[in-house]
Amino acid sequence: MNGALALTIALPLLGAFLLPVLMRVSVAFGVWIGPAILAYGCWILGDLWLTGSMQPFSVALGGFAPPLGINLYADTLALLFALAAQLLGLIFWPFKLDQDSARRQALMLLLVAASTGLALSGDLFNLYVFYELTAVATFGLVAASGTSAAYAATIRYLILSGIGSVLTLFGIALIYGQTGTLNLAHLAQLAPEQLSNELGLAAFLSLLIGIGVKAELFPVNTWVPEVYATASSRLSAFLAGLVSKLALLIILRLLLLVFHQPEAAQVILILGILGVVSGELAAWRAKEMRRMLAFSSIGQLGVLFIAMALPDGQGMLAVLALALHHLVIKSGLFMLADGWGGALQRLRGSAAASPLAAGLFVLFSLSLVGMPPLPGFWAKFTLITELAGQTEPLYLMGLTVFLLATVVEAAYLFRVAAIIYQSAPQERRPDEIPKAGGLSLATAGLFGAGLIATTLLIAPVGDRLQTIAAQAQDVDLYINTVFPATPGASQ
Amino acid sequence: MIPALTPELILYATAIGLTTIGLAGVVLSVHLFRMVLSLVIAEAGVNLMLVLAGYRWDAVAPILTSLGEQPAMVDPVPQAMVLTAIVIGVGVQALAVSILIRIRQRYATLDRWEVAERMDADIAATAGTPRDVSQEAPLGERPLPPIPAKRVDPSGSES
Repeated sequence: MNGALALTIALPLLGAFLLPVLMRVSVAFGVWIGPAILAYGCWILGDLWLTGSMQPFSVALGGFAPPLGINLYADTLALLFALAAQLLGLIFWPFKLDQDSARRQALMLLLVAASTGLALSGDLFNLYVFYELTAVATFGLVAASGTSAAYAATIRYLILSGIGSVLTLFGIALIYGQTGTLNLAHLAQLAPEQLSNELGLAAFLSLLIGIGVKAELFPVNTWVPEVYATASSRLSAFLAGLVSKLALLIILRLLLLVFHQPEAAQVILILGILGVVSGELAAWRAKEMRRMLAFSSIGQLGVLFIAMALPDGQGMLAVLALALHHLVIKSGLFMLADGWGGALQRLRGSAAASPLAAGLFVLFSLSLVGMPPLPGFWAKFTLITELAGQTEPLYLMGLTVFLLATVVEAAYLFRVAAIIYQSAPQERRPDEIPKAGGLSLATAGLFGAGLIATTLLIAPVGDRLQTIAAQAQDVDLYINTVFPATPGASQ
Repeated sequence: MIPALTPELILYATAIGLTTIGLAGVVLSVHLFRMVLSLVIAEAGVNLMLVLAGYRWDAVAPILTSLGEQPAMVDPVPQAMVLTAIVIGVGVQALAVSILIRIRQRYATLDRWEVAERMDADIAATAGTPRDVSQEAPLGERPLPPIPAKRVDPSGSES
């Protein structure tokens, strides 16, 4: 059964390349291929999640043992995000049947396959390849909007992403030149001797900035507002909700397993603080729904980076809780923005037109700000207690910035809520008031229901997250799972 | 002390130099096509760096020629990685050029700032909001001088 894990990557990839051909043969058949593949992937991962003994395992691809072969590493954390990738792929599936639908569905399958690979892979170069695949699929999907602005946003994203991949490759070259391996478990064994020096730090910085492009890290996130404003809402939801978290997950794994230098954590902390400040202030100034959500997403990712910088992986639980929380909330909000895109002032009176959507917006906003008893409160509370326990001034500064950012966040989210609940201006006809409805409202409702369910089941969910975090923090477990026969040996 | 100029040092300097030239080109270019070309240069530098990571001067290419005694071979793993990186790079560059063609068709320019300006205007127009910051209405008090109709380009490329 463990071997079936590779199918969750291989099947969507195969589907992506066969889909355009199959669509030409039979549209009725081709339309169902993609959802069927993703549903099967969900079933495999869900089955592993439920029946597995919660012990991590490693799958050597093609039967070649690591460190020379490439392995997939599946602990509960990786399985969770792989499952999220397949599930969100299914939820945000481009059902719309038009001329480009075959191309768009193929790209979506490619994006899901690459995202799953990012969650599961245990080899640095393999991660780079999946990372590039994600990027290429994203370029195609953004450009598929077909507007001039979408093309311009794509090329600007492509160039920034190109700089990112150059830096990532540079970091990989430095690491390989020093250690002669790219397997993460093997690197974790060798790192204390060979990478805890200036060279290791340089490699880490290259990788951080390179992978940070996707994780909306502070200096390399200029693409975020442009792409989210021009791409379709469903794609924006997938990118902001999942892909940014996966890039973050890679940096987190690298930080836990390979790079233990305090300087590395400090850089992440500072960049995180800058991200929070710039993102939240820009969101406060934004006059348009999607732009506001894009900037707010930069701010939230900054908070995640602050949590990640806590020494010795203490922030693991906070990162996990905040990441999952943001995944649900931002996906839901972007689905609401599907009907409510455009200037915020246009939204006056839309609460009367679509009360359910307005209610959902308030629910998401309250949870994002951190109102108890919603899950957002517990996620933020975990981070605050961890940060307050630190003695270094930089962490306390992070805490201050984080609390201030929450105030700013509340200011701009509730401002929108107030606009929504205002009565519509007299001179406007009722059909001019934007309505959120149809599939996107149903999707947002799904995320809202998930949020409420989590609120009710907060204790078991919290316990489960704690075990996941503890397992992901355990470096020895990672190494022993990948190299069971020779624990502690260097080759 | 100046280290001796070994071939290895020259190659490493070339790799890092190419990467720097490429990245500087991306940052400094005004023309979008030149930015893409600069990326190609940077990628070449990094690929050279990867090959150097596993290279040995006293070794032969990693190909089995006989079943007998094997001479020392260079590490084939980075070479496989560079092949992958080159293929990915070519794909992305082709995509970039095809998008550039579309932009050129729509906006009739490939100037980095003009494209950004028109993209911002397009986004704001779709959303129905006034622009946050623009050339005509910057963040401060005093507006900047308007863009000259025909920008003088010292490199002589298309304006």
